[in-house]
Amino acid sequence: MPSFLSLTSLEDVAEMLWAEGPTCALVAGGTDLLVRAPRPERTLWLDISRCAELAGIGLDAQGRLRVGALACHQEVVEHPLVRRHARLLGLACASVGSLQIRNRGTLGGNLGNASPAADTLPALVCLGASVRLVARQGAREVPVSELYTGPGQTVLRPDELIESVRVPLRRGRAAACFKKAGQRKGMCCSKASVALDARVRPGLRLVDVRVAMGAVAPTVLGVPAAEALLEGQRLSPRLIAQAAEACVAAARPIDDLRSSAGYRRAVVGALLSEGLLEILERLRRAERRAEGLRRARRARGRGRR
Amino acid sequence: MAVSVNLKLNGAACRFEVEPDERLVETVREKAGLTGTKLGCGVGECGACSVLLDGKLVCACLVLAAQADGCEVFTVEGLAPGGRLSDLQRAFVEEGAVQCGYCTPGMLMAAEALLRRHKRPTGEQIRQGLAGNLCRCTGYTKIVAAVRKVAKRRAARGGRR
Repeated sequence: MPSFLSLTSLEDVAEMLWAEGPTCALVAGGTDLLVRAPRPERTLWLDISRCAELAGIGLDAQGRLRVGALACHQEVVEHPLVRRHARLLGLACASVGSLQIRNRGTLGGNLGNASPAADTLPALVCLGASVRLVARQGAREVPVSELYTGPGQTVLRPDELIESVRVPLRRGRAAACFKKAGQRKGMCCSKASVALDARVRPGLRLVDVRVAMGAVAPTVLGVPAAEALLEGQRLSPRLIAQAAEACVAAARPIDDLRSSAGYRRAVVGALLSEGLLEILERLRRAERRAEGLRRARRARGRGRR
Repeated sequence: MAVSVNLKLNGAACRFEVEPDERLVETVREKAGLTGTKLGCGVGECGACSVLLDGKLVCACLVLAAQADGCEVFTVEGLAPGGRLSDLQRAFVEEGAVQCGYCTPGMLMAAEALLRRHKRPTGEQIRQGLAGNLCRCTGYTKIVAAVRKVAKRRAARGGRR
């Protein structure tokens, strides 16, 4: 049986990891730990859920969104800063598990467990997010896109822990979508997922396009080919089909208990199509609305003359 | 090595000695004797063990009991103090939202959490609010009807139960 220790300061946790790192299992929400028990050499279950320094959502000194490692998925979904500046992250967090899981599971835990199917990872890669890692010797930042070396494998050293996620704020009108395919709509683990984030420009154009996929490779995968196709181009069903094809070509999925490689490859393209077609429909509606307003204004102007 | 845990369980201050890897559902059922909370899948998939932890809906099978020290835990027994059913529970009975009954305590807690957040939930919000709770008997329709009914009744009474 493991032993249990609750520490309330980040300094104490870092000290403990420095001395005993390989024997510690960090416990935040526990939603993964209690499903899949950690390796037996992890004899100390170290409760970090009361470290105030790891909690909260706000802006950091550089004006980036800071999401503490202990923020649970539902907290992320509901936070006004996330809604305004990182909508994609909110969409991804909202798709995780059930309300029961989202109320308990933390963003830091989702990142640290390094599941290839983790829903928050494609979103954070699209948003250009970094993870701040803390150890006794000091802190460092690693882009989420460089955090993973394989399924369940990260670049974290045994003496390090995730302190927070930092997301640069992207100004301007955003288009974002997060789509996942699972066994059913709610409460399921992704067979495949796609995230897209971009800025909207007039003429149904997207710029600063970022696309990433989950569960179709050993780690989260950006899709530069799809981004290049979409960048600055007028969105159309044909262009969307080409971008979806780029996702299919980039996927490197496996067969496992949740799905087959063939299905994953096919569905990941369909997911991007679905998301982009919805975005296109929204943009068209917005343009029609704007055109209607312009016309009404012109008509009023004439009336006055 | 056991860990001492203080809980406010349905309003009453309690103290338990728990094992380091003990789950809250075990503490509630085995140590507090509150067997209304059911253990179904044990891995957070079915929602039968749903309770409110500091007001938030959680699966008690995925909460380490030792981590709940100092927290308020609200179980299905708390809905019916003195055995008097709440309006939510009465609506479940009236609508036939109970068949085998195993999912019912979790469903009630999820519905309670939903109605605390949304006074007038839409059909979609009700289904979303119950998405973490599996029922293999009713097909959900009558459960959704029961939640809608109680929301409507509470609204008609100006939010009072």
